[in-house]
Amino acid sequence: MKKYLSIFRISLEQEFVYKLNFVMWRVRNIVQILIFFFLWNAVFEGRQGELFGYDKSKILTYAFLLIIIRAVVLASKSTDVAGQIAGGELSNFLVKPVNYFKYWMTRDLSSKILNISFSLVEITTLFIILQPDIYLQTNILNLFLFLLSLIIGAFLFFCLLMLTNFVPFWSPESAWGAQFLVIVIVVEFLSGAFFPLDVFPELVFNLLKFTPFPYLIFVPIKIYLGADIGFVIQSLLIGSFWAVVLWKLMNAVWLKGLKVYEGVGR
Amino acid sequence: MKKIFKRYTKIYLLMARYAFVSWLSKRSTLAIFLIGKLIRYSFYFIFLYFLVMKSDGIMGYSPNQIIFFTLTFLLIDVLSQFLFRNVYTFRQLVIKGDLDLILVKPVNPLFRILFGGPDLIDFITIPPIIFIVGYYGLLLEPTFIHFLYYIILLINGLIISGAFHIFVLGFGVITTEVDHMVMIFRDVSSMARFPVDIYKEPIKSLLTFVVPIGIMATLPAKALYGMVGFFGTLSALVFGISMFYLSIKFWNFSLKKYTSASS
Repeated sequence: MKKYLSIFRISLEQEFVYKLNFVMWRVRNIVQILIFFFLWNAVFEGRQGELFGYDKSKILTYAFLLIIIRAVVLASKSTDVAGQIAGGELSNFLVKPVNYFKYWMTRDLSSKILNISFSLVEITTLFIILQPDIYLQTNILNLFLFLLSLIIGAFLFFCLLMLTNFVPFWSPESAWGAQFLVIVIVVEFLSGAFFPLDVFPELVFNLLKFTPFPYLIFVPIKIYLGADIGFVIQSLLIGSFWAVVLWKLMNAVWLKGLKVYEGVGR
Repeated sequence: MKKIFKRYTKIYLLMARYAFVSWLSKRSTLAIFLIGKLIRYSFYFIFLYFLVMKSDGIMGYSPNQIIFFTLTFLLIDVLSQFLFRNVYTFRQLVIKGDLDLILVKPVNPLFRILFGGPDLIDFITIPPIIFIVGYYGLLLEPTFIHFLYYIILLINGLIISGAFHIFVLGFGVITTEVDHMVMIFRDVSSMARFPVDIYKEPIKSLLTFVVPIGIMATLPAKALYGMVGFFGTLSALVFGISMFYLSIKFWNFSLKKYTSASS
C-alpha cells in the first residue's frame, strides 16, 4: 500500500512539473464546454418546452456536469502505456514488484483528483459569469446512483484505454493511431461528451445502449438529471456487465501481449 | 517574379511529394487516421443534422444555413491543416537547433517551415468536403455576387489562418512554445463551427475582432446568404491582409531573437 501512496504522490507532483501542459488541457476542456453551452443556449433561445427530452435548465446543467464528469471519468495518465509498450520501456516495469494495472490506476487517481479540483473552480467561475438556470438534484438516491455510475464509468474508461494501449504489442507503429481512433473519436462522440445521445433516433440510441460507451458520460448525467428508475437500473446493470467483461478481456489481452512483447528499443 | 513563382512551386511540390511518401510508408497508420477523421466528420454531421432538423434552425438561421456555417468552418479548417501542417513539427527544429539548417538554405525559411509538410489525409478529405460545401451552397441559391464574396472571404479566412500560424512560429522561435499555442488556436477557432452570433458579449466581440475567427469562418457563410455587402467584404479583406503583414513583421523580428541551440 505504501508504494502506491508514493506513486500517487509522485504522480501528483509530476503534474505540476508540466504546469503549462496541464493548464492547456484545462483550457481546451473549458472551450469545448463553452461551445456546448452556447450552442444549446442558442437552440433554446425563445423556445418553450422540451427538445430531445431536455428543457433549457437541464441541457445547460448537462454542459456544467460535463466539466466535472470529464474530470472524473476521462482524466487519465494511462495514455502513456502505449508509448511504453512501443518504446520498450515496459520492460522496466515488468521487473519491478508493482502490479502494472494498480500502478496506472493509482496514477489515474492522482490525475483525476487534480482535474476534479480544478473543474470545481471552473464550474464556480463559469456559474458566476454565465449565471445559467441550473437543475439541482436533491434526491439522495439519485445522487448515490449518480456516484455509483461515475465509478463504473471511470473503471470502464480505464479498461477501454488499456485495451487500446495494448495494440502496440502487435503493431508498435499504431500506438497513437489506435488511441486517436478509439479514445479521441469513438469515445468522444459515443459517450455523450460531445452531445447528448438522445439526439439520435430511438433505434440508434437503443443499439448504442448495448455498447459500453454511453456509460462513461451520458448515463451518469441522465441519472443526475432524474432519469426514471427503470432506465437507471437497466443502465447500471449493463454498465456493470461491461465492467466485468472489459476487465476480463483486458487481463486476457495483457497476458497474450506479454507473450509477444520483445522490448524493442531497450 | 514568374521565375520565383515557378521555383517555389517546384520546391512546394517536392516537399509535398516527400511528405506524402512518408505517409504512404506507414499505410496502416494512414488508414487508421483517415478512418478516424471520416468517422469524426460523419458523427459530427449526423449530430448537427438531427439537431437543426428537430429544432428547425437556430437564432433565426435555417437548418441548411447552420449546416453551411459548419461546412465553411470545416473547409477552412481542413485547408489550413493541409497547408500549414508543418507548423506542428517546428518546436523540434528550434530546440534541436535544426532551424539553423533551414535558415542557411537558399529558400525562404518561412515558406519552408509553413508549407513544408502537407498532410496526405487532409489532401484526401478536401475534395469530398468541397463537393459537400458546393452542394449545400447551391441549396441556398446564392446570387453570383454573393458567391464571389464568399470565395473572396474564404481566401481571406485562409490568409487570417496563415497569419495566426506565422505568429505562432514567431512565438515559437522566441519561447519554443509552439504546440500549446497551436492547439489553443485550434480549440478557440473550433468555436466558429457555429455562427459566432450564438455567443454572448463580450465573447462574441472577442471572437470577431481579437481572435478573428468570426471574420475567418462566420463571415464567408454570411456573405453567401447576402448578409455581407461590398464594404463588409472589403473591410474584412483589409483586416486579413493587415494581419498577415503584421505576422510577417513579427516573424522577421523573432528571427533576430533566435539563439541557435545545440546544432
